[in-house]
Amino acid sequence: MSNSSNSGKSYLEAGETHYAIGHPKSVFMQWMLTIDHKRIGLMYAAVIFVFFFVAVLVALSIRIELFAPGAQLFDGDSYNQAFTLHGVIMIFLFIIPGVPAVFGNIIMPLMIGAKDVSFPRLNWFTFWLYIFGALIALSSLWTGNGFADTGWTFYAPYSLNTNTNVITTLVAAFVLGMASILTGLNFLVTIHRLRAPGMDFFKMPLFVWGIYATAWIQLLATPVVGITLILALLEKMFGIGIFDPSKGGDPVLFEHLFWIYSHPAVYLMILPAFGIMSEIIPVFSRREVFGYRTIALSSASIAGIGYLVWGHHLFTSGMSDLAKTVFSFLTFFVAIPTGVKFYDWVATMYKGKIILTTPMLWALGTMITFVIGGLTGVTIAMIGADIHLQDTYYTVAHFHYAMLGGVVFLLFAGLHYWFPVMFGKMYDEKKAKIAFYLNFVGFNVLWFPMFIAGYQGMPRRYFDYLPEFQIYHQISFFGALIFISGLAYMFYVLIQGMKHGKPSGTNPWHATTLEWHLPSSPPPLENHSKVPYVDFRPYEYHHGEPVVKFDYKTMKRID
Amino acid sequence: MLEGFNSQASTFAADVDQALYINLVFSIILAVSVLGPMVYFAWKYREKNVKNENIENFVHHTGLEITWTVIPTIMMFILFYYGYSSMKSIRTMPDTSTAITVQVEGSKWKWRYEYPANANGFVHKVGGAYTKAIKDENGKVIEKGTMGRSALYVPVNTNIILEMTAPLDDVIHSFYVPAFRMKEDVVPGRKTKQWFNSADVGEYDVECAEYCGTDHSYMYSRIVVLPKAEYEAWFNSSEDTPKGNYLKSGDAVLQQHGCKSCHAIQTDKILVGPTLNTRRLTKEQVLDVINNGQNKLGYAMGAMPAGLASGADAEKIATYVAGGLKGDKPASFAACSSCHGEDGKGMFSTAPNLVEYDVDLLRNVLKNGKKGMIGTMPAFPYVSEEEVSAIAEYLKSVK
Repeated sequence: MSNSSNSGKSYLEAGETHYAIGHPKSVFMQWMLTIDHKRIGLMYAAVIFVFFFVAVLVALSIRIELFAPGAQLFDGDSYNQAFTLHGVIMIFLFIIPGVPAVFGNIIMPLMIGAKDVSFPRLNWFTFWLYIFGALIALSSLWTGNGFADTGWTFYAPYSLNTNTNVITTLVAAFVLGMASILTGLNFLVTIHRLRAPGMDFFKMPLFVWGIYATAWIQLLATPVVGITLILALLEKMFGIGIFDPSKGGDPVLFEHLFWIYSHPAVYLMILPAFGIMSEIIPVFSRREVFGYRTIALSSASIAGIGYLVWGHHLFTSGMSDLAKTVFSFLTFFVAIPTGVKFYDWVATMYKGKIILTTPMLWALGTMITFVIGGLTGVTIAMIGADIHLQDTYYTVAHFHYAMLGGVVFLLFAGLHYWFPVMFGKMYDEKKAKIAFYLNFVGFNVLWFPMFIAGYQGMPRRYFDYLPEFQIYHQISFFGALIFISGLAYMFYVLIQGMKHGKPSGTNPWHATTLEWHLPSSPPPLENHSKVPYVDFRPYEYHHGEPVVKFDYKTMKRID
Repeated sequence: MLEGFNSQASTFAADVDQALYINLVFSIILAVSVLGPMVYFAWKYREKNVKNENIENFVHHTGLEITWTVIPTIMMFILFYYGYSSMKSIRTMPDTSTAITVQVEGSKWKWRYEYPANANGFVHKVGGAYTKAIKDENGKVIEKGTMGRSALYVPVNTNIILEMTAPLDDVIHSFYVPAFRMKEDVVPGRKTKQWFNSADVGEYDVECAEYCGTDHSYMYSRIVVLPKAEYEAWFNSSEDTPKGNYLKSGDAVLQQHGCKSCHAIQTDKILVGPTLNTRRLTKEQVLDVINNGQNKLGYAMGAMPAGLASGADAEKIATYVAGGLKGDKPASFAACSSCHGEDGKGMFSTAPNLVEYDVDLLRNVLKNGKKGMIGTMPAFPYVSEEEVSAIAEYLKSVK
């Protein structure tokens, strides 16, 4: 690579990038062909947030339908397509790429002092593979017999029997899985090979640990769902009789294969998000993180145990009672490292100096929502309780508390935290805090009533319901209105910050990790001026000030 | 709350609720142990309160770390145990010799139940979609209908084993009884089992809990727990439904479509919309129709024009209609009877019945919605012909 990093220009400026092919003149083509990890990360962010808003609007239409019993907006079939669309977009297009694609790309190489990921061209290819997969998924909206109506889980034999466009959606999920595998591979190699000299594994920032654990899940678990989707495709096109009971197949086998991937996938979503939490808490407590090693290793152990617990999705599937018992027992072991992480974060605040900036508010708010999301997950790990709560709104509320109130909230926290690195500017903190409170209140009003409705027997995926449950749906609806206005306001504040924000400087938060030791903000094309030597722990503070200081020209320590 | 939800009607509902209760207590303890200190530290060490030199890098404490690993681990084991033991009480099948074994078939989108043969060798098969009996012109039944919105009739305090399956070309369903806290998937090509024993006579909703397509939201059924003698009498007969009008299928349909949240059935109270107890409009409502006409019902003749009667005539008509068409018929009613009939019972596909809710009227209102003095009722176009008949029959029976 040519060395343009000393020009002092930001990576966002025209021409300040490397290309997969050629040297395009047009700014648009420069973005399309860029292999710079930061630009690719930004493009991921732009695309996934567009999808996020599409899926949010679909969810709003679902909530409107559910405001009263009876059919208002949808009939049964269109409702089924609506929740499938919501699930497929949210899972495959938004939350699985999610934190790794955005911050794994933009921030992780900066954190380890690398100039890019190990395979920048592969990274470019992966992004476009993702776009290709997304286009296939969206194309199924307008082709064939309409969008799939199977739910995002594609359970056999329903997905084999329905005449909607399931084939296209399965192909899309396969292609998107491929993109996910390649992202994981790229990050694994990057973390192993491109860490700055001196940075051993236990000197890595905890976000890098989160990405590292996730990358292994992406690499090892995603192929299983790939195989499953291919088998479902073969079954649908050639009737090979693996899952279809009318041909001697076993539909429960599909459930097993599907969850062997899709359960580890929820840890794939949450682990990098936990990484964001582990960055924000020490920085805004102005002190070293408590229990660095336990936090790092708990990520790894969650990733490991996460492979062995998929059966807890099948407690009512007709699986043997012995298998239920084993899967339930193993599931409780995921709760323990997760709990330890939370205690470590809280202990990090002890005798610190708590600065309630917007990212910190998001992080602390997420502690509340994720504690609820996590503990309600413990409820449904209890077999007897799950027999009652499986496929009810309790489960729906649980995973939205964990995924939306955990992963997505932390993604927002990261967005506010790393905003200065990405754009070199600062948003209006006062307004951003108002947006947080709107989101937090709206979120809880939206989802909490569903725990009660679910306990009382409101099944999920019902577009019409018994009048007993109306009150809960109506409270949820008002929560949804508050929440959506909060989301819209938050993005408005961020976009205003992007356009008109004040220059932030390179380290506005007094943070310690390497992404805050760049020569300029936003950073130049090849990041740090020189590769730093890392002989320090990631969060070294003394009396509330970062210990390690660099000369940003030479990247030598000057403290 | 669903009927019977709080009464812990099944033998194992109490075990499940106990497990959930312990889980709730532990969850609150654990949540407070994380969030309590978090909120306290965020307040105590707030920015204004802390001088930089007082910040301490407290990064390791073996005792604390062991405590917050070991205690939650023990709590998790306890929760696992209660999950396991409540599962055992749900899943330990009773002895088949004393239990009644019913074959359950779930298919898109209905439940069917097949009982063992009774003393006369008769096999009860109940459930399935609602179909009306077919009768000849003398009212003799040619083909029996089914009660639809199927109900599973069982005796109280008896072990019932459900052997469940779905047709091979169907999809997965799940037999879920919230009041009993039980659920098990119904898988094509497999036989899954669950059981229950209810101590309370009553009716309990059954829901399909595994997504199965278009009418997943309507795949309800009911479990009707009968006194033993009543059950025996029914079981040894060849009647489709036990005596005593258990499972009023029209009632179930009204329940399902949420009609009852706006319309009173048994009383004359006006909730959101008019009562369905009688077809009695208030005087004001009748006057409103006379003065403004009506074109929301979809009868073939089309709109009723406004102003067919006025002044004192209109008043008289309104009083007569609101009174249920009893007493002396005012002469001015002639303006009405050309379409609504001499007796006010309407004419098929021409004008609505003013006396009661007949099938014609219900069908038109459900298909097209209705705009009236009180407001607009939305259309319910997906309500099937069978369901309309069921509602009409039911409304007749409760009047």
